[in-house]
Amino acid sequence: MKLVVSPCNTTGPFFPREFSDGNEDLTRRDGARARGEHIILAGRVLELGAKPTWNMVLEVWQADTNGIFRHPLDPRFAEVDPGFWGWGRARTDPDGWYRFRTVLPGGDQRIPHINCAVLGIGLTRRLVTTIFFTDAPDPVFDCVPGPELRQRLIARRDPSLNADGAAGYRFDVILRGEGETPFFVD
Amino acid sequence: MKPRAAGYQYSPYGDRTQTLRQIDRYNASFTRVPASPLIPRPVTLSEQTGPIELPRRWNAGKLALSRAVENGPRAVGQLIRVSGRVTDEDGSPAAGVVMEIWQANAAGKYVHAMDDHIAPLDPNFVGQGRLVTDEDGRYEVFTVKPGAYPVLYSGWWWRPPHIHFSILGQSWMNRFITQIFFPGEPLNETDLLLNGVPSHDVRERLIFEHGDTVMGDLSYINYRRDFVLRGHRRTPELA
Ligand SMILES: [Fe+3]
Repeated sequence: MKLVVSPCNTTGPFFPREFSDGNEDLTRRDGARARGEHIILAGRVLELGAKPTWNMVLEVWQADTNGIFRHPLDPRFAEVDPGFWGWGRARTDPDGWYRFRTVLPGGDQRIPHINCAVLGIGLTRRLVTTIFFTDAPDPVFDCVPGPELRQRLIARRDPSLNADGAAGYRFDVILRGEGETPFFVD
Repeated sequence: MKPRAAGYQYSPYGDRTQTLRQIDRYNASFTRVPASPLIPRPVTLSEQTGPIELPRRWNAGKLALSRAVENGPRAVGQLIRVSGRVTDEDGSPAAGVVMEIWQANAAGKYVHAMDDHIAPLDPNFVGQGRLVTDEDGRYEVFTVKPGAYPVLYSGWWWRPPHIHFSILGQSWMNRFITQIFFPGEPLNETDLLLNGVPSHDVRERLIFEHGDTVMGDLSYINYRRDFVLRGHRRTPELA
């Protein structure tokens, strides 16, 4: 038996702020702190004409500092960092800024990366992309055609975003227009 | 080769079963949907996994939206019970997953800083909350029927009554967001988002089924909507 998937639709403008607030920090869990190198991942979500978007929702999912996902499908699930959730959600402010506190993901199956989804007004379905930190062989990164587009998926060190001992990384999401972020089939 | 745990297989969302990405006169879809084609990519462990521990993180359980506080006064409006079942494409229940629900009150007003509509808030209606599906993938929420509301910038567009649903499934791939409309509403005919679904059959799946009416200490009307998340179980690979 194969059922037909339900139709997605937009979150609209009124996605409750309470659903995002408090989920921007992935590095605290059950009183424990995440291991590894803490980072601030921040940037702006811009629409056509480099205009800022307000109240767009970003969701992220990633491995811990050792490359382990907090999920039983991961063969090393039992060793996952007890201080790390792996999942976060943030929303953009009126200037289009979002901000996460997380850790630099580890692992040897894939290069370090953070899965990122954008939801909100204008998007009847979520947009998915992947944030990388280096340019190296990777089954998903390699699908992006050409070095110029691949560069757009790399978060850049930005000391102006440093906070509370965490190194700042900048990643802007350009939904449409010049410098458009590459998105993947979902 | 060692045995692997049973995983899930995911196919890309088909345009035939989904809402169009760009809808005539829905202006934001032309400034926010990328102009470049989406890039195909493989699904690795990273995308097959996802935040299954959210029910515990948020302490989510049962949900009632019809009162702001337990045993407090009832919100203004028509009491309804919305229920259904969440499954994967192979019919297996999406058990223990978080569902987030948000909606306008009976006057068509959201509790949200961005809602500029001059309509009254209801102190007994919060209009948002989380629940967790049971072992059979079922959910249930008592709430009030939301009112229609104007999209102020548009000059003409009134959204028909609808309830927003967000489901955080077992993986990054089957995270799901939609909005469900009420049957027989005249505004359904003109709504850009409902009519952004080309096929009549698919559009029907964005509309609640009208269930039976219940009379008693609690009198309400039942509305039903099942959801099918993407993905079906893969048979385990054995040694
Ligand atoms: Fe709405």
